[in-house]
Amino acid sequence: MPDLGVASSSIVSGVLLGGMLALAALGLSIVLGVMRLVNLAHGDFLLVGAYAGFFFFTFTGVDPLLGLPVIALFVAALAIPVYRYLLQPLAERGAEAQMMTMFAIAIILENVFVLAFSADTRSIGVSYAALPLTLGPVTVPLVYVIGFAISLVAILAVHWLVARTAFGRDLRASAADAEAAATIGVDVNRVRMLTFALGVACAGIGGTLIGTAFQFSPSSGGAYLLNSLAIVVLGGLGNVLGTLFGGLALGALQSVGGLALGDGYRDLVGMALFLLVLAFRPEGFARGRR
Amino acid sequence: MTAKALKACAAAIVVATTFSLASASADEIVIGASLPLSGPLAGFGSFQQWGYKRAVDEVNKAGGIEVNGKKEMVKLIIRDDKTDPNATASNTETLLSRDGAVAMLGSCTPALVNAGALVAERAKKPLVTGCDPLEAFKSVRNWKWVWDIFFDEPELANAELKAVQDWGAKTNMKLAIWHDNGPDGQVVGGKLWPEVAKSFGYEVVQNAEFPVDNTQFTSIIGEAKSKDADVVLVDAITPQAIAIRKQMAAEGYTPKVLNIEKGAEPVQFAEALGKLSDGVLVGGYWDPSFPYPGAADLSKAFESETKLSSSQHIADSYAAAQVLLDAIAAAGSTDAGKINAALAKTNKTYVVGPVKFDENHTAKLPIVALQWQGGKTVIVWPKSEKTGDFLFPLP
Repeated sequence: MPDLGVASSSIVSGVLLGGMLALAALGLSIVLGVMRLVNLAHGDFLLVGAYAGFFFFTFTGVDPLLGLPVIALFVAALAIPVYRYLLQPLAERGAEAQMMTMFAIAIILENVFVLAFSADTRSIGVSYAALPLTLGPVTVPLVYVIGFAISLVAILAVHWLVARTAFGRDLRASAADAEAAATIGVDVNRVRMLTFALGVACAGIGGTLIGTAFQFSPSSGGAYLLNSLAIVVLGGLGNVLGTLFGGLALGALQSVGGLALGDGYRDLVGMALFLLVLAFRPEGFARGRR
Repeated sequence: MTAKALKACAAAIVVATTFSLASASADEIVIGASLPLSGPLAGFGSFQQWGYKRAVDEVNKAGGIEVNGKKEMVKLIIRDDKTDPNATASNTETLLSRDGAVAMLGSCTPALVNAGALVAERAKKPLVTGCDPLEAFKSVRNWKWVWDIFFDEPELANAELKAVQDWGAKTNMKLAIWHDNGPDGQVVGGKLWPEVAKSFGYEVVQNAEFPVDNTQFTSIIGEAKSKDADVVLVDAITPQAIAIRKQMAAEGYTPKVLNIEKGAEPVQFAEALGKLSDGVLVGGYWDPSFPYPGAADLSKAFESETKLSSSQHIADSYAAAQVLLDAIAAAGSTDAGKINAALAKTNKTYVVGPVKFDENHTAKLPIVALQWQGGKTVIVWPKSEKTGDFLFPLP
């Protein structure tokens, strides 16, 4: 059995990391909720954010976390033509056509990363990424705490946007019944385009956080897509605060799995949980306002 | 379309395919290679590609190779296996059957090399590799068509602890082992290191295994820290090596000695980590300072051409390609059996040192201990070959 310090540090780290990953998963969740689209390029848009953060830091020397608004806008700007010219024309052809389009984009993006940036593994080398934070018996990476705090603020901001603004009202109406929303004057296409951009921006911010805390390469996207899917299923489709809950739960449970079975079994725990929730509670654990 | 038209199309395709293969084999000697140019092992593949190409370019600049009394140019076809053994196997199949390769050069690491080697073995075509640790290579089967020039894991397993011993570095003699569950990870981390550590008088306080795609090491690191291990031996691929070093620092764990085999070899390890790479040990089998023909020049050529720091993988790949090209020249034929027979007779000093295959089709390279210092590796053991002093403890 691991000692108290190891167990508590591992679980707290897992919760913080889960919160950080929840932001990336939120992007997938809202796109799925409003557009009924499983964005298979989500992990690769996350990598766009990681590379953007990397080069932002490399060329400006400015902390990439300070540049997050710029990075979010940059990634969102990339998403708009993707929606306008590739997804919107396929809107009437069912979810499969759009999903396959995103799968193709995922492959294209991965190859673009290799061509443009080489296949090297990279990491955003800010100094605090390698510093520990110790409180009593608990030691966690400082960057997890910073990433968690940023993620929490971003998720609450998205929650406010969805729950309290006119755009959020249109978004919820489009998610509930697109045809009915259109009849009462909601520009569903515009809502979907902005939702897609918002989802991809969340992935981009999540990518910069992940690139700061960990390492990434052109082929890393798939693993983050899987993690995001597990969080979305745990938290409930399109449920903003549920996604945060899903991330925290997944992080904690993966840590328990890592402690009990070894770090190599974290993903196994996550995927087993994903299947169990899909089988027995497909609406997710979290309920309430979306 | 009528049945007649279909038959005509099929015939045209057969004729075109036959013609294209025939023209390839008539004008040039085709050699194939499947390399990890993307995916987690891309850091190895880019260096190997350069080494293979350089050896072939040199031969072509000298007029090619004489086969059946006529000089022919060598064509090297490289396919990306994306660090996927299934892709290595299918690439090898394609290179041999469709591209008309008369022989193959290997990929990197046992998982990839062995996948391609088994295809070459079945097709009875020679394959030479310079990136497959010998015990992992020998454990697969008795090879007839595949030849391996690399280091031997038992020697590698000893190197770093000998370096610590010879430099008189004092530790609490508690040692942790973390290794992936790939073929070489299991041999080195699961079997050899525990035995070697005990023979040096260390207490092995932890032996943790993880899958080759693992990214989180929180619990493993926490356990080693709680058990106060002063020495940590790791066998992992580059993305994991970077993750481990970064997470160790972020969890406030700094052992006195950190050795990361495999993953700490490519220069991207140091580029991604910056100062965190300083002091990390990794086994080496080649350095530009080695007294072998062309060693210093090879490194200079790479660095002036690519503007990148060189890696030992330029040497193993360059040598493997030279060995194969020499064998084709010695055979004077593109017949697979004759090339294979010539490979068996290889006995020459290359850029990596003397190469002579034993009955297991292996040629062993001597091991040194390298240490990352200021973004470059220096030899710290054996002391007789050192190019820098041992940095201790880990900064």
